[in-house]
Amino acid sequence: MNPASVLVIGGGLAGYNTARELRARGYAGALSIVDPAPLPYDRPPLSKEYLLGRRGVADIELSPAAWFSEQGITLVTGSVVALDAATGTVVLENGQTLNADAVVLATGGSARRLPIPGARDPALFELRTMADADRLRVALAPGIRLAIIGAGLIGAEVASAALELGATVVLIDPIDPPLVPALGPELATRLHLMHADRGIEVLTGLPVEITAEGPVRTVHLESGRSIEADAVLVGVGIVPNTALAETAGLETDNGIIIDPHGRTSAPRVFAVGDVARIRAADGHLERRAEHWENARNAGAVTAAALLGQNPASPGAPWFWSDRHGVHVEGVGDMAAPGTSVVRSNPDGSQVVFRLAADGTMAGAASIDGGLAIRAARRIIDRRIVVAADLLADPAVDLRKLAR
Amino acid sequence: MSDPINVGSVDAIDEGEAMVVPGDENGTGEDIAIFHAEDGNFYAINDECTHETASLAEGWVEGTEVECPVHSARFCLKTGAALCLPATVAARSHKVEVKDGEILLFPHAGA
Repeated sequence: MNPASVLVIGGGLAGYNTARELRARGYAGALSIVDPAPLPYDRPPLSKEYLLGRRGVADIELSPAAWFSEQGITLVTGSVVALDAATGTVVLENGQTLNADAVVLATGGSARRLPIPGARDPALFELRTMADADRLRVALAPGIRLAIIGAGLIGAEVASAALELGATVVLIDPIDPPLVPALGPELATRLHLMHADRGIEVLTGLPVEITAEGPVRTVHLESGRSIEADAVLVGVGIVPNTALAETAGLETDNGIIIDPHGRTSAPRVFAVGDVARIRAADGHLERRAEHWENARNAGAVTAAALLGQNPASPGAPWFWSDRHGVHVEGVGDMAAPGTSVVRSNPDGSQVVFRLAADGTMAGAASIDGGLAIRAARRIIDRRIVVAADLLADPAVDLRKLAR
Repeated sequence: MSDPINVGSVDAIDEGEAMVVPGDENGTGEDIAIFHAEDGNFYAINDECTHETASLAEGWVEGTEVECPVHSARFCLKTGAALCLPATVAARSHKVEVKDGEILLFPHAGA
């Protein structure tokens, strides 16, 4: 479409990388990012190194302020409250209006609230933004009792960090072990057991109410068990921030509906990242992808579409998690039909490969697997058929199998 | 520009592999990784990924690029340029020459 001006709403990774890719692809028109935060920053460290105080604000900014000036990218600090999809005009909460040929919605998601009494207590913690992390960091004094509801990526990572900061941690999830769809049962089990090994109390149960008495919160489980805590973090996923798109009349369905190139139902408007949901060419709605890598790739795909270019296909989806000193990675689909092959390395690290019936690889997951996931990604993307016994043998160089 | 360091025979690094010359040996104070790229040439860039903590020598070499083994940032082995997020800062690149079958590294200190 080659717009003369592009306005990106949301300065998370997806919005930032849309702008970055536009410039990298030669776009010379006007380009702005609107976000409440003054500078775009990277979110994965918020539950790890930033929370631990080992990396500061400047370390997690996606680029320094000078880079945006050099690139001719205007950063507008504020929140968008209205969008006119037909004209590309947006209104900020301070009344300022901005207009562009093309608008990219990168509004992300908000922490999901539990549908139980007490869940709207403002004293509860969630972790989506730098401000959330700062508030949690202040609360995590040594000796405090932290209850975490949800043992997925954020819950598990904060449990690990909080333990390091001296908190007493209880980790609650209705499913034991969590993350089986992402990692397969072998590694999900091993990872979940690590929490108890390090001194975290792990409870399997469904919270039904959170009550307050002074500064203390009590999480009540369906089983009748109750857990007293000085701080409660809820990490049970996100809801997409679709309100702006909805009031603008865009098509939404648990996300802003886009085509595989980021185009919404309005010709001037695109959407990227956590908030976007792809309708595939055959008409079916895909699941929203909420991982870091999707946000990065979506920025590239949409920048290319805005300029009438064809981006490289992103390939199999990938994510990582760091907790208790181990590095976890997954690529592709570990829940695909097929069989699993485990490779146990002499150093204790493990990789699990998911093989489809035709011998191609559907997914792989690892704990401290080094290059295994890089090999697996290529085996998946290149549709290489690999023998299960070679995958299982730690003496076989996976790099050779991927070429 | 300091004197070159003879880091050994070209046979010491297989294609697709890398060798680290520690910072206290190369004089820059920062570890340098020498890669044998898939174009057959040898290239040197600082070993530490510019994103977080990882050794690029342990990364995945493809063509004349290396992918970080931890968060998959990619770097150009010829220039050190960061090619994709999460890295945005280039790795410092150093001159390498092959002479009489020996790899010579010219460590480049400073910004």
